[in-house]
Amino acid sequence: MTARDRILSAIRNSLGPRRPDPDAIAAEAAALLADPQVTRPPLAAPDLAEAFALKAMALGTTIDHVPDMAAVPAALRRYLADHGLPGVALQPAAELAALDWDGTAIHTDIAADEAAGLGLARWGIAESGSLVIHSGSDNPILLSFLPLHHILVLRRNDLLPHLEDYAAAMQGRAQPRNAILITGPSGTTDIEGSYVRGAHGPGFLHVLLVGP
Amino acid sequence: MTVPQPSFKERAAAALSDGALKIAIDRTTGTAERKRAAALATFPEFDAARAKGKAIKNHVIAHLDHYLEMFERNATAAGAQVHWATDDAEARAIVTRICLDANAKLVTRSKSMLGEEIGLPHALADAGIERVETDLAEHIIQLAGERPSHIVWPAMHRTREQVANLFRTGHNPPPAAEDPGTMVQSARRELRAKFLAADIGISGANFLVADTGATCTVTNEGNAELTTTPPRIHIVTAGIEKLVPSTAHAFALLRLLVRSATGGEMTQYTTFHHGPRRPGDADGPEEMHIVLVDNGRTRMLADEFREMLRCIRCGACMNHCVVYRQIGGHAYGGTYPGPMGAVLTPVLDGLAPSRDLAQACTMNGRCAEVCPVGIPLPTLLRAWRRRSWRERLEPGSVRAGIGLWAMLARRPALYRLASRIGVRALRLLGRRGWISRLPLAGGWTAYRDMPRPSGRTFMEQYRAEQARREGGR
Amino acid sequence: MVAKPNPRVGLFVTCLVDAIRPGIGFAAIQLLEEAGCRVEVPQGQTCCGQPALNSGDDTDAAHLARQTIAAFEGCDHVVLPSGSCAGTMVHAYPELLAGDPQWAARATAFAAKTHEITSFLVDVMGYRPQGRRLDASATYHDSCAGLRELRIAAQPRALLAEVEGLQMRPLEGNDVCCGFGGTFCVKYPQISEAITTEKAEAIERSGADILLAGDLGCLMNMAGKLHRRGARTRCFHTIEVLAGHADGPAIGEEG
Repeated sequence: MTARDRILSAIRNSLGPRRPDPDAIAAEAAALLADPQVTRPPLAAPDLAEAFALKAMALGTTIDHVPDMAAVPAALRRYLADHGLPGVALQPAAELAALDWDGTAIHTDIAADEAAGLGLARWGIAESGSLVIHSGSDNPILLSFLPLHHILVLRRNDLLPHLEDYAAAMQGRAQPRNAILITGPSGTTDIEGSYVRGAHGPGFLHVLLVGP
Repeated sequence: MTVPQPSFKERAAAALSDGALKIAIDRTTGTAERKRAAALATFPEFDAARAKGKAIKNHVIAHLDHYLEMFERNATAAGAQVHWATDDAEARAIVTRICLDANAKLVTRSKSMLGEEIGLPHALADAGIERVETDLAEHIIQLAGERPSHIVWPAMHRTREQVANLFRTGHNPPPAAEDPGTMVQSARRELRAKFLAADIGISGANFLVADTGATCTVTNEGNAELTTTPPRIHIVTAGIEKLVPSTAHAFALLRLLVRSATGGEMTQYTTFHHGPRRPGDADGPEEMHIVLVDNGRTRMLADEFREMLRCIRCGACMNHCVVYRQIGGHAYGGTYPGPMGAVLTPVLDGLAPSRDLAQACTMNGRCAEVCPVGIPLPTLLRAWRRRSWRERLEPGSVRAGIGLWAMLARRPALYRLASRIGVRALRLLGRRGWISRLPLAGGWTAYRDMPRPSGRTFMEQYRAEQARREGGR
Repeated sequence: MVAKPNPRVGLFVTCLVDAIRPGIGFAAIQLLEEAGCRVEVPQGQTCCGQPALNSGDDTDAAHLARQTIAAFEGCDHVVLPSGSCAGTMVHAYPELLAGDPQWAARATAFAAKTHEITSFLVDVMGYRPQGRRLDASATYHDSCAGLRELRIAAQPRALLAEVEGLQMRPLEGNDVCCGFGGTFCVKYPQISEAITTEKAEAIERSGADILLAGDLGCLMNMAGKLHRRGARTRCFHTIEVLAGHADGPAIGEEG
């Protein structure tokens, strides 16, 4: 008997011989997700962008409102200048590459002690102020973790109200190797409960919120 | 040859006499308690969410075989290799074998209580593999050569000054100052190179998502992603109770977990790991191994401890436990401390060496009150007491005392007589209302006085009064 | 729940009140009679069984459960001056006897008619004390079993609010265990002592003249600690104050 067999048969011995069919189990699981509004917090504000911003800023995320994608490079330059950052590692995404980066010191390699990284968020989640990134050929995960300053572009149209809405958006789609919900800069309370930012990941999280 | 281990009482006594430990415990648990209360104050849906969370876990437990197979199928389809381990030794052997086969020299590890439970740190050391703990607290206790004292803040027993001492010798160069900010920066610099040089990264899982085959880690530091992304191999060790039907179910539990653990609303990094690197992916491990560990969980499923399988490891029970807050985590002697540890440790280590844990509880019920998945912890501790009594593990003096008391209590007339005599005897021991030395109950009078019985027993006085009333009629 | 007029109430005195402080039992009789109850004290009672139950000795605990249920069979209600013993009867008795076909239903019925005294006075009898006066400040400790097993929190406070001149002071950590825990405090005296010390410090910080609680076990623990520390806080069971007995000796004072 393999370990797998031993574990599964021990479980079946405890649960008994008469078991519902998979459809019945699936229906029971789905019923557990009914009425999610009863078991989750309401949004911090009726407007998604406002709700998102309230939650994100409460965690130390900074937000810059940008009218359109074309204005992203200039907004980024302002942020780099404000923080005295020499340049930025850019996510190799077609949408970002298509922008006019003249006058911005961009590069693609991510150094071990990278100062700043710019990437695209797939979605934002208003309930929690979270940003969703997916790994892929155009998105190294380390871009979101090695830099001290992490800058994410988020389109207002990509804001989802609640965590469940992200799960629903991914239903039936191909899952990436990594899907990460980023909610504020890296932090730790491991020394006497004192909150310190930039434990291992970015100490700064800045969102360029794009849209009218 | 085994060295005799200090008993629970000895460990507790040592903890009680450690003033720095008490300060450290009060700081962390006090903050945790306040922040949890604040988080719940802004989440009036908590009670409904807790009922839902409990129902989700019960559903998974009732169909555990179904979800394990579903998870295995989907994780395998995503390219992960799924391994099964019935106990800690098998789990250690599987992980060590993967490391040795890969000729790994350096392994990074992201905090996982299951890894502690199965003794992974020692197993890697025995295999000659360098292990680097990357969670800041785990880094601290690795430098100190200790075990975690809390499941959320493993180094909570260490004061800032003690951490500074550890970093001064453990970091090169040592931190420039002793404030937490500077020390965290020093750890960041120290560990960055290790992350990028590791051959294998090992993580735990907060959730195993059955319908996608993903494992989910939640951290605030970002160390899980730095542990699992650069190395060639990612190994996950997870208990079989971590299953959830879907991502949405994981979110429902996550809301409870974070508020209960840290008082936050969401962890900084909530990450789903879905197989190894895809063709064309910019980074990520080439292999992903998932070790599903039983280690007593199917035994719990079979007996009265089934409800404990709902535990999502938030630590709220220990933060709110009067005993934990006096003695800290190490005194419990197992991997898991506090009320949840007092239930789990006898499962993992056997009841005989851990029988004190269920007894050293005032049964005040606060742990069950704060548990985000409604585990009746005092009821489960009582179940251990029942077994301990049945298996005659309780000291003979306790058994004799209870036996004598029960013999009297089962005979009301005799009991009343014994009470009358006992009260008179007690009154002889006291002066001016108080008794300061009590034979057979020195545990009481060592630290507090005992009120002297105020006179004859209630029953004597009541019956005398009844007789008077009847006589006067 | 609405009681029938002049219900027949069986008082379960509790073993600690019987031996250490009978006055609490007489205060209970007085209040119950003021509330319109016919009170009796069945002689078949001894202890609720907690020492056995908490030691894991279910055999003796079940025996005492059956003995107690039988002793109170004829009563409309069973009332106790203790949340801890009441909690045992309400929750543990039905569990202990669930597998006993002759007793399971009787245990459930018994649990349904059993009440801790302050909750019985307020929730069932709608009682409020009249004309009580005590010029003192007091603080209230919520004993754990009553608070968490029986949800007793508002009732004693509502009753105490009727006592003229009594000024209630907040107690930091009022819902945190005092460290008594029944046999816990003699089995693990050092841990108990550390918990009780923090409780005593909080009571002293409250500045109240009087400490009130609804369980004699907790009160003996806290009073004993306060006395050893040399504190001047006087300790009473809540119903002693409600019955107007606070002009007499407090716990540990000689009459």
